[in-house]
Amino acid sequence: MSAIIPVAELGELVAGWIGAGKLVAAPVAVGDRLLYQQLASADQAVFDARRRPANSIKEFLFPRHEPLFRYRIEGRGIELSEVAPEEREQIVIGAKPCDAAALPILDLVFNWDFEDGFYTARRARTTVISLACAAEDEACFCTSVGLGPEDEAGSDAMLFDLGDGRFAVRAVTEKGKALFGERQAEPPAPRPGPEPKFDAARVGRYLASHFESPLWKELTLACLGCGACAYTCPTCHCFDMVDEGNAAGGVRVKNWDSCQFPLFTLHASGHNPRSVQPQRQRQRLFHKFVTYPQKFNAVLCTGCGNCERNCPAGLGVLAVLKAIDGEAMNQDAKEPVQA
Amino acid sequence: MQKNLYKPDLMEVLDVQRQTPDVKSVRVRFLDDGRARDFSFRVGQFGQFSVFGSGEATFNICSSSNWKDYLEFCFRRTGRVTEALWQVEKGDTIGFRGPYGNGYPVEAWEGRNLIFVGGGIAMPPIRCAVWYALENRAKYGDITIVYGARTVADLTFSGELEEWSRHERVRVVQCVDPGGETPDWKGEIGLIPTVLERAQVPAENAVALVIGPPIMIKYTLPVLDRMGVREEDIYTSLENRMKCGVGKCGRCNAGPIYVCKDGPVFTMRQLRSIPNDF
Repeated sequence: MSAIIPVAELGELVAGWIGAGKLVAAPVAVGDRLLYQQLASADQAVFDARRRPANSIKEFLFPRHEPLFRYRIEGRGIELSEVAPEEREQIVIGAKPCDAAALPILDLVFNWDFEDGFYTARRARTTVISLACAAEDEACFCTSVGLGPEDEAGSDAMLFDLGDGRFAVRAVTEKGKALFGERQAEPPAPRPGPEPKFDAARVGRYLASHFESPLWKELTLACLGCGACAYTCPTCHCFDMVDEGNAAGGVRVKNWDSCQFPLFTLHASGHNPRSVQPQRQRQRLFHKFVTYPQKFNAVLCTGCGNCERNCPAGLGVLAVLKAIDGEAMNQDAKEPVQA
Repeated sequence: MQKNLYKPDLMEVLDVQRQTPDVKSVRVRFLDDGRARDFSFRVGQFGQFSVFGSGEATFNICSSSNWKDYLEFCFRRTGRVTEALWQVEKGDTIGFRGPYGNGYPVEAWEGRNLIFVGGGIAMPPIRCAVWYALENRAKYGDITIVYGARTVADLTFSGELEEWSRHERVRVVQCVDPGGETPDWKGEIGLIPTVLERAQVPAENAVALVIGPPIMIKYTLPVLDRMGVREEDIYTSLENRMKCGVGKCGRCNAGPIYVCKDGPVFTMRQLRSIPNDF
């Protein structure tokens, strides 16, 4: 088998997987955007190494709406039953490396002490085939968080667009080899990716010592609190749990949630530790660049730029991070850090 | 798949007590005998309690960990889940996940005098620790309980407060806000920090557990400081909103801590080192 695959053959592979009963997801053209979606047929998949889908692949591991169990109410008694787990193998193909890289980061929180079996079961039966990135836009900043256009983190196999209708394929893990076997192309010359735009570690250090700062209000006052940043983020994973049903019974579900909503932290007493939007913006950045690194030794961000592109207020999370990094640099210049 | 982390155990409601006009306590027992037999927890831990169809809410387990036949929890009627709980009666079935969180370091408190300071609905998470200390009486020194509520009718577990005060080396100081007293009220009148200061509680070798509204805690800390209680000996239990209880859903994160897993019990010294985001 050749390690070089013409696009038509790639389509045949995808069609074969779908035919074999696997769930296959890939970027699909929806209007003028690309969105990762589960494929009904192989010809829907768009393998464009120059464009980024507006959502992320997290929804195939951590669905936006996931039943946890069913309950039946019978008089004063309750009967609980498990929801039949999805057992089909799943393949995500054409994932951006910045989407694939989110998965090993999410593994940490979903397995911390208590294991979230819903996530880990999906993760175990999912194979991720990334498509190395051939272009970046002004919102991209993977290189600022230690990743890059060909980073293999979270990828079971990686495709490289050779620019002539063919892809080189490289299997990274056993799961990748199970799909592509002997196909082991040497990757083409690596691309540098976007210019680094800030220093994540320096941002983290600055944030940790500037919880209270007028900067928060100045930089984030434009935030509408819509949550688009969190919903399209590959690493945001906060969720709500609610009952959906009627007087006879129903199902408890996990739904995506966001720290950008005022109700997220509202206590029963009426006290709300984050009652205004700049506090909620601060929380999101703190969690990504301070809390998560402290707790799990990983930045909760892959630099995909979705928050930047999808923000209706043009708030520019990247602009916020750059401004913070600028402040941090000024401070470091004033008070040199002990080596 | 792993055991379903989010599926509660079913519990039968054995008893419901109306504590105040808007607070009830509930006594429950696991339907599964094996689970009931094997269950253990530390005082200060919490559970996620379900009314199916309305959802789940987080409450401290307010019974002592020495009581093996049942659990108790207490709630104020204030939202969707607690409104549904308000309708629950003896014989109904509810759900429970837990125990979660760290609990009180009761072993480290051995040999110390204990000062409990609580306001309003904060009595339940103090009550479990008081009973635990009384049941292990020889291990603890003097016990002082300063408990206040807005009015006499808002005091929870009134009968137990009387009972505790009859134990040796136990002093119970009850207070209500000015205007909250009844003609036959024999306790103190005033806000908790003032009453605590007036009570002249001996503070040497003391550990304090202070639970209540943020404003009460804020004004109680300087009093404890003047009494000479060190901030590493002052404990509280945070009440952040939670959903999962197991460090996944992100809701109770404040600065570097996840309250559900790192807490809910912290010393004031620990809290001073993290951002004021709880």
